[in-house]
Amino acid sequence: MKLLLVEDQVELAKSIQNYFMKEGDVCEYANSFGAASEKLHGYQYDVLVLDIMLPDGNGLELLEVVKQNWPQMGVVIISAKNALDDKLKGLDLGADDYLPKPFHLAELNARTKAVFRRRLQKGENSLSLNEIKIDLDSHEVFVHDQLLDLTRKEFELLHYFFVNQRRLLTKQAIAEHLWGDYMDTADSFDFVYQHIKNLRKKIIKAGGNDYLDTVYGVGYKVKSS
Amino acid sequence: MNLVIRVTLLFALASLIVFLIGGVISFRVMMREVNDEQRHFLNERMDRVTRMIERRKPTDTLRMNKLVVVPLENLTEERKSFRDTLVIHAQLERLEPHLKLDAIKNVEGRSYQVVMYDVIIEPDDIRDGLEESLVKIYLILLGAVVVVGFIVSTYMLRPFNQTLQAIKKFSIKDQDSKISFPKTGIAEFKRLNFFLEEMTEKVKSDYQSLKEFSENASHELQTPIAIIQGKLEVMMDSNKLDEEQINQISSAQHTLNRLKNLSTSLSILTRIENKEFDKVSALDFSSEVEKMLNEFKELIELKSITLTTEIEPGVSVEMDDVLCELLLTNLINNAIRHNWEDGTIHISLTKEALEVVNSGPDLEGDPNELFQRFKKSNQSSSSLGLGLAIVQKICDLYSCRLEYSQANKQHRMKVGLNP
Repeated sequence: MKLLLVEDQVELAKSIQNYFMKEGDVCEYANSFGAASEKLHGYQYDVLVLDIMLPDGNGLELLEVVKQNWPQMGVVIISAKNALDDKLKGLDLGADDYLPKPFHLAELNARTKAVFRRRLQKGENSLSLNEIKIDLDSHEVFVHDQLLDLTRKEFELLHYFFVNQRRLLTKQAIAEHLWGDYMDTADSFDFVYQHIKNLRKKIIKAGGNDYLDTVYGVGYKVKSS
Repeated sequence: MNLVIRVTLLFALASLIVFLIGGVISFRVMMREVNDEQRHFLNERMDRVTRMIERRKPTDTLRMNKLVVVPLENLTEERKSFRDTLVIHAQLERLEPHLKLDAIKNVEGRSYQVVMYDVIIEPDDIRDGLEESLVKIYLILLGAVVVVGFIVSTYMLRPFNQTLQAIKKFSIKDQDSKISFPKTGIAEFKRLNFFLEEMTEKVKSDYQSLKEFSENASHELQTPIAIIQGKLEVMMDSNKLDEEQINQISSAQHTLNRLKNLSTSLSILTRIENKEFDKVSALDFSSEVEKMLNEFKELIELKSITLTTEIEPGVSVEMDDVLCELLLTNLINNAIRHNWEDGTIHISLTKEALEVVNSGPDLEGDPNELFQRFKKSNQSSSSLGLGLAIVQKICDLYSCRLEYSQANKQHRMKVGLNP
């Protein structure tokens, strides 16, 4: 996946870039409206990650330009400004997703991947890890080609792990992914634990391996083998 | 009672007092003048009587119209005195106060006592005349005052009323339109309009900067938090960390998360106060409640809480949809958080009110402080204590009554609808 990150905060941009590069993605970076336009005209990108507040212009204007010239490009807006209004405006203008700052990098990764897949991948839309396969269109999970009965949250959880393989996902990031703003983090960790316990049980029962590693009680990580 | 009527009444009262005092003074002055005139008149008559005595040299008592002349035996010293007396008035046939001149006059070696009395104008008549004229003048004055009052209120106060209308239409959020007051020639109104113009501009710019501040504060806080969060996540991904280090990072992330929630909640509170959520529309509150309960279903189940509902379908509220969601989220979240494992939540919705009843430990502290910012039953808890403050703000905005009561470890939160 080749993406362009438009973000004026260098430090945040570096972290995001770092995260995506580790995933094996190409992440280029522009710190202003002007720099972003230049890059957009010079190269081809799959997804644009766009901050709305830019020093030399409004990200929403850039979004309009992108939608006119490169309608196939996926756009994820990241913004801290007046979250609710911009969300509506951004989605109206054709953005694929909206993520208010501050966010977890794993969350941004998951959303960007989802946008990328929705927009550009043809044919089978699925993720797999050895014997486990997730069908993203039908929201079904198969273990050894056998359908696994998961709740919606369990599916989301597994999907989150699959997108962020090799990453340590904290309970907090998981809780926020599953419940968004509705959840208070203090209470949520037990819930995360419960969900993971159930998910593990179901996968093992279906003959799959337990790929989830608990990391020092802080979070979880997908084992690659 | 409006200003003009009030001033008119006050003026009428004041002029009544002035007229009463004025009447008394006029009466006195006129009486004095009349008295002087009468004395003068009697004195002149005295001169004529003296000349008559010189001519006729009466030896007997002489009685004439309002005049008695009595010759005295002995020569007596001359004197003269005026006195008030009551005499039967010839035409009116009743006692009337008269002025009486009682004198002793020596004419050619003989003393005569001369008594005469007369009246030019009776005091009664003066009083009646005065009364009549004063009452008439007073009535004319009242009429004039009413007419002037009418003119003042319709014409002269017109710019003032126009100013009031202009203020009524003033909206603090409307940044584009400048409030305009009618031109007026009256100095006071000019000053008032000038002052109001300055003030509304000031209020607008203050509001604008406050709004900008809350927006900026939210943005400026969120960005550094986003940076820190990103750095911590990248750091956490490193494979070289031991348990201690990972725990440290995790705990930093927790604290950061609280900071994030704090800044979000405070900015929501400010924005509610600024009335920025104004996309009011008729919402199907019943289905909103159902939808929200569905979002929380899992959390409720995971805490083994028994949820019972009694939701009347088709209850509609006029609200901003974002605020409606915030209201329900905070109420339900609150009911879950301050609950026990295996506790209960009962939610009922009627056209009159939304009620959330949940089991849970007794509230410590004053229930009245429950809805204030940063008030929480357990100070050490990780909740921010802003949830119910947001609920209260939303209820205030839509003039909904928010009530809390607790009994037998059951907490009841009631939001009145359709006030």
